[in-house]
Formats: sequence, C-alpha cells, structure tokens
Amino acid sequence: MSDASEKRDPATLLDDFLIADEPYYKAVGNEIALYTAAYAERMPIMLKGPTGCGKTRFIEHMAWRLGKPLITVSCHEDMTASDLVGRYLLDSEGTRWHDGPLTLATRYGAICYLDEIVEARQDTTVVIHSLTDERRILPLEKKNEVVAAHPDFQLVISYNPGYQSVLKDLKESTKQRFGAIDFTYPAPEVEAEIVAHEAGVDTKLAQQLVRIAERSRNLKGHGLEEGASTRMLVHAGQLISHGVPLGEACQVCLVLPITDDPDMRDALNSAIAACS
Amino acid sequence: MPEPEKPKGFLSVVSAGEETKVEMLSASARKAFPEDSAARWLRARRKLTDAGYGRAVCDSYTNYSIACARIVGPEPAIELADVVSVVAIKCGRKAAETLCFAAERAAVRLEDPPRFRSWLSLMQRFTALAPESVGSVLSRMDELLSQLNVSRLESWLLAGVRSAGSDAERRLHYFSLEDHEAQRWLQREAGEIVFGDVEKRLKGFLTALWRLRVPVREPHKSAPEQSRRRTSFDRGLIRIPASYPGYRGEQAEEIFAAAMAHVGAHLIHSTTKFEIGGLKPIQIALVSLIEDARVEHLAMREFPGLRRLWLPFHIAQAGGALTAPSLFARLSRALIDPDFQEIDGWVRKGRERFYEREDRWDDPAISREIGNLMGNDLGQMRVQFNPRTYIVEPPYRDDNLGLWDFGDQDAPDQEEAELLFESIRVERQEKEDTSEPDRERKEEQEEEDEYNVAAVSPEAYQDAGIPVARYPEYDYATGRERADWTTIVEYETAPGRRHEIVEMLERHHDLVKRISALISATRVGRPQRLKRQPEGETIDIEAAIEATISRRVGEMPDDRVYAKHERRFRDLSVYVLLDVSESTNDRVRNGTSSVLDIEKEATALLAHAMAELGDPFAIAAFCSNKREDVHYFRIKDFDKPYDSVAEANLAGLSGGLSTRMGAAIRHAGAELRRQPTHRRLLLVITDGEPSDIDITDQRYLVEDARRAVQSLAHEGIDVFCVGLDSGGDSYLSRIFGRRNAVQIDRIERLPEKLPMLYLRLTA
Repeated sequence: MSDASEKRDPATLLDDFLIADEPYYKAVGNEIALYTAAYAERMPIMLKGPTGCGKTRFIEHMAWRLGKPLITVSCHEDMTASDLVGRYLLDSEGTRWHDGPLTLATRYGAICYLDEIVEARQDTTVVIHSLTDERRILPLEKKNEVVAAHPDFQLVISYNPGYQSVLKDLKESTKQRFGAIDFTYPAPEVEAEIVAHEAGVDTKLAQQLVRIAERSRNLKGHGLEEGASTRMLVHAGQLISHGVPLGEACQVCLVLPITDDPDMRDALNSAIAACS
Repeated sequence: MPEPEKPKGFLSVVSAGEETKVEMLSASARKAFPEDSAARWLRARRKLTDAGYGRAVCDSYTNYSIACARIVGPEPAIELADVVSVVAIKCGRKAAETLCFAAERAAVRLEDPPRFRSWLSLMQRFTALAPESVGSVLSRMDELLSQLNVSRLESWLLAGVRSAGSDAERRLHYFSLEDHEAQRWLQREAGEIVFGDVEKRLKGFLTALWRLRVPVREPHKSAPEQSRRRTSFDRGLIRIPASYPGYRGEQAEEIFAAAMAHVGAHLIHSTTKFEIGGLKPIQIALVSLIEDARVEHLAMREFPGLRRLWLPFHIAQAGGALTAPSLFARLSRALIDPDFQEIDGWVRKGRERFYEREDRWDDPAISREIGNLMGNDLGQMRVQFNPRTYIVEPPYRDDNLGLWDFGDQDAPDQEEAELLFESIRVERQEKEDTSEPDRERKEEQEEEDEYNVAAVSPEAYQDAGIPVARYPEYDYATGRERADWTTIVEYETAPGRRHEIVEMLERHHDLVKRISALISATRVGRPQRLKRQPEGETIDIEAAIEATISRRVGEMPDDRVYAKHERRFRDLSVYVLLDVSESTNDRVRNGTSSVLDIEKEATALLAHAMAELGDPFAIAAFCSNKREDVHYFRIKDFDKPYDSVAEANLAGLSGGLSTRMGAAIRHAGAELRRQPTHRRLLLVITDGEPSDIDITDQRYLVEDARRAVQSLAHEGIDVFCVGLDSGGDSYLSRIFGRRNAVQIDRIERLPEKLPMLYLRLTA
C-alpha cells in the first residue's frame, strides 16, 4: 500500500479513518477529561475493564471529539509483529513494502487502538515498546527504516484483567509504559439511560434490564466467567423494541450467549423471572 | 382356603401321571391353572408341603399363586414355588410366607408375565445377596413397586447391598429404610427431584439475587425426621430438605427455588434476632409468621417476580375451621396475596395491621409488635394452639429457628428450649403421611449438637480431611452410574523430610544426568523457520528468485514465496496419580525399601524431568476407606511450582487403606479437564487391582475404573497406567486398554523407566 499511499496525498490518506458523526457516549466519571489531558501529552493509554462496558465506544467518541483518525486493530493469538508493522509482498515488479496498521498510524498521525492486546503473542507486543517511550519511533527492520511518529500519533490499548488466563498477561515492561483508565459498568441509573438511548426503549424497561444484568454480574466467578455487559442489554432492548417479549429477548441476549451450563441457565432464568 | 369341590373329569387329568395323593381343586384354582398346568402346579405345591416348611407357607402359596396365575398366567405362578422354597431355606418361613403375598402384589402392579418373571428372579438373586433383609423388603413390596419399576427396584436393592457390603446388620438397617441413605436412594430411583439435582442452580439463583454465598447442606443425618422436612438457617449455614415429597417434576424445582428465595429474604432482611423474652409459644409462632411476610414483601419490592414463585404454594382457603393452624395458614396467604378474600375478622385485622405499617416494613420490630397483638387477640378468641402439632405452612417456609436468639450459651436452658422448640416445631407435610403421627422426641439437644458440628473450626478439619467432591460410580450389574456415590476427601500429607528426595536425586546422579540430556534433545519449544509458505512474515528469498525466474522464462511461478517463524510449543499437561494403598508398604529390593519408596523415587525423577521440560504437571496420591472416604493427597498442583513444598509433600506420603481407583481417576480427570492444553495426560501408577473393603465383588471396581477411563477418553484426556504388579495383565488392560497400560516386572527399575516412558509417551 505504501506505493499506493505515496501516490495519494498524505493529508487525505487517513480520511477513511476519521469519524464523521458523534458516537453516543455517556460519561460515567471524568474519563473524558482524563483522556483529553493524556492525549495532549500523547501519553500511551490503557483502557481497562470488562467486555462490553464501552471501552471501544469511548475511544471512538474521543477520536471524534479530538478530530483525529482512529485505526483499530483487534488482536488475536496468531497475530505476528508483521501483521502490525507491515511486510513485503510480491507484485509484477518484484517486492513491495506494505505498511501495517501500526506503521500507518505512526507515519501519518492517527490514534492507534489495539483492542484486547493480551490476546496477541508476547513477542508481538514488544514492537510497541519504542513507540511508547519518549523515543516515539518505530523501527522497520526488514525495510531498514525508522519511522518517527507523527505528532498526532497516540497509542491506546484495551486490556481486560481477570478475563485472561495467567499465561496471557501483559509483560511488566509493557504495562508500565501506559497510563490506565478503569472502566466498570455504569451506575444503574446511568446504565439504564444508555440502554434506553441505544436500544430505543423506555426508561422503565431499561431499568428492568439493568436490574437483570446485575443478577448475572452477581454470578461472576460463581459459575459465570463474566456477567451480562451493557452491550448485551442494548441487544436485548433492541429485540424488545422490535416486539420480542422480554423473557425471550433476555433468553436470546442475556442467558444463552454467556453460559452453556444448564444449571447456570436455570439459575439465571429464575433470577430473571424474579425481576419482573 | 380352597374348599374342595366336585372335581369330576378334571381329576382324571390331574391324577394321570401323578402317583401322589389326589387333591380336590376349587373352581378358582381350576380356572387359574387350566389343563396340564394344574398338574404341575399341584406337583410344585406338593414339593413345598413335603419340604416341611410348615402349613402356613403352603397355604400362603396356594392362596396367592392362584391370584398370581390369574393375572400373569400359570407358568410364572408355578415358578414362584421354587423361589418360595429358596427363600424358605435361606430366610425362614416367615419370609417365604411374605413372598407369596408380595408376589400377588407384584403381579397386580407389574401385570405382564415377563416383568413378573424378572421380578421373581430379582427376588431370588436378592435372597442370595442379603438373606436377612428379604423379609423386610418383601413386606414393603407394594409400596416399593408403587414407586419403582423392576429395573429401578434392582438398582435400589443393589445399591443397598453395595453400600452395606458384607455387614448384615447394616444391610438390614438400609432395607428397613431406617438408613437415611436408603430413603435418599429410593427417592432418587423413584425419580423424585432431590436437592442434589438442583443444588448448583439453587446456589446460583441465590447468588444472582443477593450475591449470597452461603453453604447449603442437607439436614444432618441425626436430625429428627420432622426437622428434615423444612429448611432451616443459622450461623451462615442453610439446611434444606433432601426432597419435598409430594412435589414432582417442575413443581419440585419450584418449591426448592421458593424455599431458597425465602431463606435468602431472611438472610438479607431479618437482620437482628428476636429475643425470646416472655413470649408464649403462640406469640413466637405469630411473630415468625409476620416476619416471614415482612421479609417476603421487602424482597418482592426488589424482585416483583418472586410473588409468582411463592404464591402457588399458599393454598389455604377462606373460611374454614377456627383452629390455629387453619387461621395461621390463612393469615399467611392474606398477607402475601392481595386478591385473597378472607371473611374471618382476625385474619382481616392481621392484614390491616400489617399494611398500616407499610412504611415501617424495614423495621423488624413491627413483626414483634403485630405478632404480639395477634397472639393476644387469638387468646381472647380462646383458640387453642398446640405447639406440638404446629406446622409452618406453606412448606417452602423455613422452621424459623434462625430468627430467634437462644441466648449466649450453646445449649439453651432445657425447659426454655423445649418450649421454644415445640412452638416453632417443624412438622412433616400433611400431604405425605406414610409414617405414624408424632412420637415423643427429645431432639433439642441433638439439634444443638448438629449446629455445633456445623461450626467446627477449620483447624479441626485439617486432620479430618475436607470432603471436596462427589462422583458417581458405575455398577456393571445394572449398567448404570449411581450418582454421587463416592466422596473424595482431601487430606494433607504428613510433613515429610524433603532431604530424602534430595538425597535420592543425588544417589541417582547418573540417571538424572541422562534424563536431562534426553530432555534437551527432545525439547521442542524452539522456533522453527518454515519456508515456502503461501503467506508469512518475510520473503523466502530463494523461492522468490525461483518464482521470478519462472516468470521470466514464461512458466507458471510458484506463489509460495514467504517464510515464517513458528514456535512449536509442547502443548501438554500431565497429571500423575499415585496409588498409596496398603499394599505399597510391601518390601522389595531384598527388603530395603517398600513399593511406595520406589514410587516416590520414580515420581521425583519424573517430576524433575517434567519441571525441566516446562510441561505443566500436577501430582496427587489416593487411597480409600470405603466409598464415603476416598483419601486424596495433593502433592503438587498445576499452578504451583515444583519446589521444596511439593518435595516435602511427596516425601511425607505413607501407605494405607484400599484402592478405589475409579473415584480417584474421576477426580484427577476433573482437574485435568480444566487445563487449556491441547494434550492432557493422566498417568496412573498403581501396584494392584482396584479394591475396597465395602466391595466383595472383584469385578465391580475394575468395571467402574474402566468406565471412568472411558469417559475421560471421550473428552480427549489420555489415561496411561504403569502397573507394578507383574500379574496384573488381565485387569490393567481391561481398565486402561491394552495399549495404554505397561507392566514393570522388576519394580526396582521403575525410577529409571518412568521418565523414559514419559518422554516416549509425550514425544
């Protein structure tokens, strides 16, 4: 893409990654102020918290707010350093270098968001080290090039503690390069407001869904890996707004996805029945 | 008994081949045994008479065999005579007589001849297994068959034989249903929902609602029958009945959930205990009743759906007798059911008083206040209250013992306790009245003891071992697994002397070195460069040049021109399970060490190898003392390093007791299952055949272990066995399969063989 990108104007290259419309985000604390300050210093930031609590939505919102392009990479366990940095490909002329998403963000100035970073292999995560201290450079060994970070560049990772096994934890040397913002599920009233807005249901129903979610969060660590997330509540609410009865919507969005254990399903179902 | 009637032409048939005295047959007998079967029936009867079992047995047979024959046909009825004879010889005349009666009941219940025959043969087998209990079982046959079919009856009978083993007295105890276990198994076989079936989801339910994690137990075995019929809570422990007889299927699940939710409401909202003070039993009962309603209402404010769970169990009807139990049940319903139209003034007043204080429902004092008022009113109405027969209704509610403060001392004042206990006495549910009414009881002391037992400190547990899990056991005779049959109890190993292990490693210095060399050769955790890949991180230059050349000369280029690095990890976890039964104390190596010593040596060497390879591994040892107490020693867990603690644990192992292999394999499998690795290996090291003192049938535990191994294999867990018994070929290959067991004929060579074997297995 590097060839292609050189043909394009670097100023417009990242336009695809700009977020045009405001993503809905309801602040639960002072995370917006914290993040804005961190961005001013281009400080690498780690977003911590359980799945579905709004980490990705938050970073989208912030990218929109700051008017910067956002490049998101969902990490997986087969991801190699080349997948982030880039690699040589063959074409009719011979070999051609292809910038990876991280290089792209570094070169042209975007917020690079590495989602679920611990999923990536440990040897992969070390490539971010030189970008996350005051050097702010990305060496491309294979291409024999050192990319100095664009002034707009910032690295953000998400990290879900407790959810991964002990084997999959960030290295201490990686962790300590980041500032962290902790996310939890919002307070019940706030969460109900979010669910009501996102799913287009009335507040009363949203409150009921939140109460149900609290039940399943109580079971975290006691049969469930994780309780129902805000995202799941929004899904349930969306089904309900299409006329699906509450019970079935909960079954589809809140019970079946999180557990296959028939006993836990029954426990959840009884608890859901008790809530309405 | 059959009055002789005119036999006529029939006689000639009967007496044709019969040189014995000709009998006169009744019309009913003739009808039941048509044609030539009559002759055989007479012969069978004759045999019983001649054997001298006494007139009663013969009469009984004559009587009931006719009845049987009418339902299931003449043949089975004639076969009955043989079984009667066997029972008479083994169990006495009385039992033989009962058998005839029971056979008639069985015929009525089972209806068709094949089923009746299998029942008959079951009785014959049972006679051989537990002769002393035959009479007792037969006298209950009608009741048993009302709940069980023949195969379930068989399961239940065999469960009894298995559980009591060769102890005749214990068997009798079981089969006369005095044993709590016997009841439990009967309920299970009868398909009733028992607490064990729903335990996990009930606990989950309670946690989901209130984040409560309270241990839940079945009532103590020694608790009186009555207090096992209601839930009870106190001191951080919930006791819940094993079953609610009379409730089946979905309704049974509902009542368990209702009971759990009710106790949960108490735990959250009944924050302080009531002082007994000068309260009369009737007031105690009423205060408890109001408190029940109060906490339920508070819970329903939070979870409105609970009303749907509780309400169906309130079945009291308006009007009716002006007796305390009836009024109480109606008041209970009136307080929770807004649609309940009660005409009685007292109940209405109760409801008014309760709702007047709606804004004060948070305060437990109102329960006491209303309860007292209601009690006084009832006293003025001269309604009699008998604390002895008082029943907390509906059945999902608890016995309310947990609401009251018994004072500081552990055992409350005898008299006071009796009064209290009676007032809030738990009674069996009216619906099922299979047993006699109230007996005189002196249970309060027992009850207190029970709580003391529950409050045993953790220190005391350490010597005693901690029950951690229950597993089913497979009975090849019935082809079914008996749920929750064995209990794994974890014990701590005696603190061992770690230096024994260290010294041993030093002694085997050469071997250790050889193993290390082997390991470095087989270690496969190194990264590998994979060339000619369709995709990869780097370009494979040689392939790229070739491809370019191909293209230039106009050939089709090979597009696999990339290379990548890949780290091939050993993705394997290993669980080593050691048999430390009594037989491992046998001396070998000319008597210088025991089998166990050698097992330890071998394990230490193996652990050394595994630790060096970096494979996750765990080590545990087991022995057993009957099914309720399978000892389990953890030497090293997966998530702990192999360090001095693990070495000391290993050194501290001592041999004893028996080898209940299946249970231990299941437990190890349960842990291994949680390992995220691709391959999982369970390595069992044993020196003998599975056995236990409560099992006389040699094949039983072998088949059970085989079953356990098979079910692990289904889950993709490999089980491999190292046998130290040179004669163990037959059962080891039966349990583990021929390819998955290896014999070591010279035990002293185990330490060097085991690590090698391991490397070969996992390469």
